[in-house]
Amino acid sequence: MGCCYSSESETTEQDPDERKPLIPHPNPDSKPLNGTEWSSASVPSARTDEQALLTSILTKTALNIIDVSAADSQGMEQHEYMDKARQYSTKLALLSNSLSQKKPLPLPSLTSQPHQVLDLVPDLDVQQVSKIAAYAYSAISQIKVDAKEELVVKFAIP
Amino acid sequence: MESTLEQHLDDTMKNPAIVGVLCTDQQGHILGCRGSLSDEHGGVVSVLVRQAASLTRDPTDSPTVCLESDLGNILVRAHGTHHSSCS
Repeated sequence: MGCCYSSESETTEQDPDERKPLIPHPNPDSKPLNGTEWSSASVPSARTDEQALLTSILTKTALNIIDVSAADSQGMEQHEYMDKARQYSTKLALLSNSLSQKKPLPLPSLTSQPHQVLDLVPDLDVQQVSKIAAYAYSAISQIKVDAKEELVVKFAIP
Repeated sequence: MESTLEQHLDDTMKNPAIVGVLCTDQQGHILGCRGSLSDEHGGVVSVLVRQAASLTRDPTDSPTVCLESDLGNILVRAHGTHHSSCS
């Protein structure tokens, strides 16, 4: 699905109410318009065809739209809401216990005296790199925005 | 206008001891690269320098980060707001 620890399979220990959608489908029994409805209109004019097509699109859309504002709010009652919240938090607590046991492994330390193991970087190299960096910086400062024309223009319809 | 930078990178590569050079801005966006250093190294390089800079309070003291390996060293340094690295 879209989040961690969820799966498609419905396990028996899960409360079936857990996955019940909060906003019910507005018209679950609607059947999509099929071919038989079209054939009943025998040789209609092109105008009526368009009209029928338009109304079918409208009805399909109206059936599929879930209007959240106008819907009959059979919202959950307070106790149901509290129940669900409690259920989820206990589940989370259970899961977080098992999750927190995975700790990242610390990097192994090879030596306690790195300055003896690592080579001294030659001064010349460091100086050279500083010079290269300085030249690069001055070269980059030449890269500028070259404004040739107005960025914002009036949109004119002739 | 980028020709100066391109020329500078080419000149740097003329040095036989240098097998790669890379230049990025503060966010790791590649401004130019040659040789053994390429696009995918830009992010790592800029972050290393930024982290190293936080080791010192002095803002003018720009450290040079050196990554040592048996194949060679990679030196990374920031100048102003840009980072260059040579390997």
